[in-house]
Amino acid sequence: MRRLYCCGGYDMGKEWQTFVRKFEDMKEGEVKLFIKDLTPGPRKYDTKFVKALVKKSKQAPPDSDLLLIRSESGDMAPETWSIKIQEELPPWVPGRPWEDLFKAIEKDQA
Amino acid sequence: MAFKDHRDFFEVLEREGELARITQEVDWDLEVGAIGRRTYEMEGPCLLFENIKDYPKGFRISNGTTGTWSRVALSMGLPRKAPVREIYQAYEKGLEKKIPPRIIKKENAPCKENVMIGDQIDLYRFPSPMIHEGDGGRYIGTWDLVVTKDPETGWTNWGMYRFMVHTKDWLTGWPQSTSQLAFTFNERYRPKNQPMPVALVIGTDPISHILATAPLRLQESEAEYSGGLRGEPIELVPCETIDLLVPAHAEIVIEGELMPDKIAPDGPFGEYPGYRSGTMCQGVAVKVKAVTYRSNPILTMIALGTPPDDSSIAASLTAAVSMKRGLLNRKIPVTDVYVPPEGVTHLIIVGVKKGGTETARRVLDYFTARRIMTNKHIVVDEDVDVFNMAEVLHAFATKCHPGRGIAYEWYEGRSNSLTPFYSPAERDRLKGVSVVFDSTWPPEWPAEIIPIKASFKTIYSKEVQEKVIKNWGKYGLK
Repeated sequence: MRRLYCCGGYDMGKEWQTFVRKFEDMKEGEVKLFIKDLTPGPRKYDTKFVKALVKKSKQAPPDSDLLLIRSESGDMAPETWSIKIQEELPPWVPGRPWEDLFKAIEKDQA
Repeated sequence: MAFKDHRDFFEVLEREGELARITQEVDWDLEVGAIGRRTYEMEGPCLLFENIKDYPKGFRISNGTTGTWSRVALSMGLPRKAPVREIYQAYEKGLEKKIPPRIIKKENAPCKENVMIGDQIDLYRFPSPMIHEGDGGRYIGTWDLVVTKDPETGWTNWGMYRFMVHTKDWLTGWPQSTSQLAFTFNERYRPKNQPMPVALVIGTDPISHILATAPLRLQESEAEYSGGLRGEPIELVPCETIDLLVPAHAEIVIEGELMPDKIAPDGPFGEYPGYRSGTMCQGVAVKVKAVTYRSNPILTMIALGTPPDDSSIAASLTAAVSMKRGLLNRKIPVTDVYVPPEGVTHLIIVGVKKGGTETARRVLDYFTARRIMTNKHIVVDEDVDVFNMAEVLHAFATKCHPGRGIAYEWYEGRSNSLTPFYSPAERDRLKGVSVVFDSTWPPEWPAEIIPIKASFKTIYSKEVQEKVIKNWGKYGLK
């Protein structure tokens, strides 16, 4: 079901969801983001990696979609955001498995 | 009689009143997970969901295959009401014998009834559940069996790791960095920047899934132990696109390559310690190369969470027996080891023939030597039944000296990052701490000063005990 949110009365299109460590980590502007498609059906929660313009909902541009934010514990942010997808990227980023962990350990040991 | 797969095991479960078929339409998006979770908490039956919203008839989900001790007993050919100690003993004995697997031809393998390769691949063909509200995605791999191989030694490892549907032909997952899968990848594939073949097996026989949770030593073969425990070889079949052998009677096999140079987010996910804590991370990325599956496939799920569930029960069994073997190999005078499911492998009970500070310290050293999944260890004397938590708590409360009976060990790079009480900073570096509670009488105490337990069997002479037992009915007591 599509919901109308406060954004000048515009219907906000598709719904997406993303995860951040903490809500304060989410910043407005042009970002690269992994998002989940919340369109009902057998492909719900399909992932995309996109370059997009995100804003808090009250400043949403027309023909943008709705973006819901969850934290690393899965908690839903009370405020909604808008997302305008500019480009779809391959669904991964360059990196080596467990690299973040190994770097954190090396840094601590240095 | 060895179970070849989940289907023949479900026939037994149904006969024993341990299976409920749900024919009402249910939603894979949270409803199935919620039903599964509530059923665990009510100690209910194994569930087989036969009518899933958005999916054609025949595509099914199960939950809780061996989520109670009674169903574990049945999977091992024991009576439904076999005591936990008997199940442990049967499992331990079953590990004494290994039977090599039998390789069969593809045309004879039920898991090859349907094949998707390349552009045909669509993981959304299966009703992967969104298990908990707020999870990072739909987890197709929860009660699974993940196959990897060391290309230099040929050693094949089975493990149980969560895997999430990322896109129609990509998975993400989060095997811990201290896992055997990670070890094989870091030793053999990362240095060469090569992808590692991985097969995610869903719904093979129940014993093999239980074994996938076992912390066996490197180079040991779960497939051989599966044969030994089941009394007959497990049938394996080559994959279509990667050089791995997989159980031929599995419901679904997803063949892929774990990329050395690509990552994608995995989690968060309500995990086995019973919380969703710090489980969002840079996950491994697996490009799916083929999917083979049986007709009318069953996606075996566990709605992981607070114990008991399949995970806490299986780990209780497999971890305890491995720990006992390891402690005995180090010449620690162990009588038995119990991993209470309620402690989700964070709490371990160790019974010893000779207690004291030194023994307790050696127990702690064993559990902190390498990869560390546990953190609290209660050591008790041999007269305490480790399977009886009332006796264990009594021993802990009355014999563990708060001043001299508790020892700690801090470490880094090896802790269990799923442990809920670790801070984000500790989790980032796998920093942790383990403790041992020496709940034994000091061995240096002379026998005459050791307190006598005021229980029927210990504070009355044999003659008085026999007289009372003999006359119990005459007293009018049952």
